[in-house]
Amino acid sequence: MGEIKEAELPGLGKKYVVRLDSGDRFTVVIYDEGNRELFCFAPEEEEPLCSVTLTDQEARQVGSIIGGAFYQPKLLEKLESAIAELHIEWLKIAPNAPLAGKSIGDLSLRKKYGVNIVAVIEDAGKGKKRTAAINPGPGYVFTPGQTVIAAARRDALEEFERMVSVEGG
Amino acid sequence: MNDLLYNIVFVFLMATVAVVSARKLHFSSIPLLILLGVLFGPHAPYGAGFDFRLVKSTESVELFSRLGMLLLLFYLGLEFSAGRVIKSGVTILKGGTIYVTLNFLRGVGLGWLFFHSWPEALVVAGITTVSSSAIVTKLLVELKRTANPETELILGIMVFEDAFMAVYLSVLSGYFLAQGTSFVVGLMAGFITVAFIFAVLGLGRFMSPYLDRWLNFRSGEPLIMVVFTLLVIMAVMAEKAGVTEAVSALLLGLVLAETSHVKRIIQLVTPLRDLFGAVFFFSFGMGIDCRQFAPVALLVLAALGATIAGNFIAGIAGAWVCGYRGRPLVNVACTLFARGEFAVIAAGLAGASGSAGILQPLAALYILLLSIISPVLAKKSRSIYLGLDKAWRLLSRHKTESFAG
Repeated sequence: MGEIKEAELPGLGKKYVVRLDSGDRFTVVIYDEGNRELFCFAPEEEEPLCSVTLTDQEARQVGSIIGGAFYQPKLLEKLESAIAELHIEWLKIAPNAPLAGKSIGDLSLRKKYGVNIVAVIEDAGKGKKRTAAINPGPGYVFTPGQTVIAAARRDALEEFERMVSVEGG
Repeated sequence: MNDLLYNIVFVFLMATVAVVSARKLHFSSIPLLILLGVLFGPHAPYGAGFDFRLVKSTESVELFSRLGMLLLLFYLGLEFSAGRVIKSGVTILKGGTIYVTLNFLRGVGLGWLFFHSWPEALVVAGITTVSSSAIVTKLLVELKRTANPETELILGIMVFEDAFMAVYLSVLSGYFLAQGTSFVVGLMAGFITVAFIFAVLGLGRFMSPYLDRWLNFRSGEPLIMVVFTLLVIMAVMAEKAGVTEAVSALLLGLVLAETSHVKRIIQLVTPLRDLFGAVFFFSFGMGIDCRQFAPVALLVLAALGATIAGNFIAGIAGAWVCGYRGRPLVNVACTLFARGEFAVIAAGLAGASGSAGILQPLAALYILLLSIISPVLAKKSRSIYLGLDKAWRLLSRHKTESFAG
């Protein structure tokens, strides 16, 4: 984890210096009028390697891209974010998972387990675009390869995870 | 048909040209405004076939310019808070004190050398001491130095200088009102003004909950009306009480800075300050006859030399105390050269008090030349550092050799 230092720039805004594990320093200046300026410093260097200026809108867009809202790296298909008691997980359905081929209604996920399916992202085939079923109904059938975004309490999610992953594995 | 309106049109046309082209040229607007004021004001050059005297100094222009000055100082008061100075840290307090003290002493010395009289020495110190925070901040952003470690110090020094300016202007205006008396009496009057300000500030702190409730308007319209009216009333009352209106505006800003509405007031006042402030700088230029530039040229050159040398040393010393070494030191010293709004205000105060008429063209030429020199020096800080480093190494090697020999 990077170590973050915050400094006030009176009349301009705020500065955040993130010391990365690699030794690089990454500096973000947030101007009072909304622009963000990003600087990258190699270890022990005083001149930045590069710098970028973003408007407020662009900074938010880039921020959500970095946060992974648009695309999850393949290796990290299981992504979890937790707010208070609510846990949200992105889970990929394994080829021979217990729930493959069953519908949400068959499993009565909500009634029995207290798990809400927020969305299911279809696996992209060759030449096909990824599509997502947002808030799927009880008739929705799970197939292997899909990524399920589920919201529930911690314990319920753990049980759900077993249904999604490989049997016995 | 309507001379008054035509005149105003010309004033704003020139001011707009100055501000817009300053933006395009990545230059500060203040020197350009002054320059256009000199070029097209009542003292502008004219001759066979051409006449640059487009703008007359009418009552309305003067009024706008006075409002500009009031708003500039009101804004300084609003932006200033003791909390901010303290928050910027003990090191910056140390560095800022050293920087401002060295510069101010250098300024007073210079003024005394020029005029051999205290009021002028104080004004020269005011003109040459305080950097223009607007220009310096712009420079930092343009040179992409906002991420550098020394930038916090530079901006901290700006905050410190603003605070110093508030005190200095009060002392100066008090001093000028007691004019004609001895130095000590004048200075006493200055300090009485400062004491008065602290008293009002104390009162303001006590009154702030009441002010908070009283100014609690949902929409901006009544708020700006009340604030602006207060500003004008304070100016009139100050005149009656024998304080300069500049100080009254500063004071009102300081008092309102204690309320919870500061942020909104700053938002409402900033465009007004920009609008009338431009007229203030323009009209400062209008008051200057460019033929006056010739006799002050030598003084200006001397002042420039002293400022650049003195400022460099003060900057290095201030940054050294704050624990900076090497290149950041030179960066700090090279970024703080620009002078602007406060120099004009100090010179303007001197003019209003009937002090030497030579000070205004001096200030104008000084600001103009520095505004050209300072960005170059700031950009070259890397090569300046390398040069100094080389010179230092050569010198120290020379020393060791002579020791050996």
